[in-house]
Amino acid sequence: MKKTILFLSLITITGSIFAQPLTTTSAVVGFDATTPKDGLPKAENKAVIASLNKTTGAVLFEAAVNNFAFANEMIQGHFNSDKWMNSVKFPKFTFKGKITDLSKVNFAKDGSYTVEVAGDLTVRDITKPVKTTATIVVKNGGVSTTAAFLIALTDYGISGPPIDGGKVATEPKISVSAEFN
Amino acid sequence: MNSATTRTGKKNWLHLLPGAGLLVSFFLPWVSWEPASVINGYSFPAGDFFKTAESKFGLGNPFPEYNFTLLAFWLIPVLVIIILCLAFANKKSALLACIAGALSLSLIAVFILFTQTLISLGAGKDLLSMLKPWIYVQGICAVGFILTAALHNSWLKRIAWILVGPVFAYASFMFIEQYLEKQTFSDTANVKTDFTISSAELIKEFMTNDTSANKKYLEKMLVVNGNTSAVEILADSSSTIKFADSTGSYAIFSLEKIHLDEVKKVKPGDAVSLKGVCSGSVFSEILGTTFISFKRSTFNKK
Repeated sequence: MKKTILFLSLITITGSIFAQPLTTTSAVVGFDATTPKDGLPKAENKAVIASLNKTTGAVLFEAAVNNFAFANEMIQGHFNSDKWMNSVKFPKFTFKGKITDLSKVNFAKDGSYTVEVAGDLTVRDITKPVKTTATIVVKNGGVSTTAAFLIALTDYGISGPPIDGGKVATEPKISVSAEFN
Repeated sequence: MNSATTRTGKKNWLHLLPGAGLLVSFFLPWVSWEPASVINGYSFPAGDFFKTAESKFGLGNPFPEYNFTLLAFWLIPVLVIIILCLAFANKKSALLACIAGALSLSLIAVFILFTQTLISLGAGKDLLSMLKPWIYVQGICAVGFILTAALHNSWLKRIAWILVGPVFAYASFMFIEQYLEKQTFSDTANVKTDFTISSAELIKEFMTNDTSANKKYLEKMLVVNGNTSAVEILADSSSTIKFADSTGSYAIFSLEKIHLDEVKKVKPGDAVSLKGVCSGSVFSEILGTTFISFKRSTFNKK
């Protein structure tokens, strides 16, 4: 009886360890709204929290909006201003999604796997669905992921003369990378 | 003789009327910036113009060290008063009137160009609806003042006086805009530190009252001293260094790849001093903790 309880406990503990998602606090999210007219609206945030659940395929990202570092002072000010990201009122953006074809990935075997990710991106408290292709690389027990997708600024209530004038892309590219060790 | 006096008198009145309009409208509202900011003509030399723009939209005078030059626009009412006095004494003041008019028109151009820029920061929807009637009165009176002051001059000269202010303002504005577009952040190591604090105190302050801590530290340059809890080197050789407390809340500094050699020497538990711009705190739903992030970070060597 005791042996059975011990065995079941071990199974439960082992199962919960495997169900624990991988997390990092140093994922990188890039924002690229450059156009042929203006190469300045481009920034990276390298202190993004990311989580990947190898069992369920759940993928989560959280980034502090104000931590996007632009090279240009004026553009950074515009990015965080009320009409744009309004980082004081909406201090973070989040992505909550799932790998829809998780069976393609063998986390126990080194290799590069291309998967589909679908989820919701919330910016300025506005949530829109996002679907993209991601690459998962498994190497020496570590897992790294990369993905990129476009977002329409108007979907998140962002518009204005710089966009109309072609100085900011109407659909900036968002690139995401995370290493889970 | 009588006829000549009457003509001179009419000319004087024709000149005094726009002068009076110029003087009065200078002190009245010219534009409105949302929400609820009415800016008068005199707000520019008085300093309220850039003060309001900075506090509400984060766009102040790019060259605050030259704030004193804005005082030149007080010449508009001063010159008008002098000219009006001279006119009553039947003395000529064409040059002064042209200067006052040109200054006024350049100020109008600055208001329009700057307000147009503020629209992209949320100050309003369209320029025309933001301009107040008194800016039009100012413009009409400035043109009238120049035209009636320089009656003896050719039309070419009069038009030149009308155009010189706005053209100069537009050229200056474009130059400043180009300059700002090329401006990059100064090296963090050379920027004055606003606060020096231990990592434990900093995290505690944010955990106790994040609203006041964010207000106090957001976009400020901080030196944070503490024992690192984690060091991560990213694929592009940039890195992050973390200070965490017992609850799991942490402060995280992003360092560029030029710091790689120094970062490699740091191990968890080591005492380090880091300097960076505080991006404020955010509560993480993923981790269930608060994190404070820093950008443009470097090792503090002072």
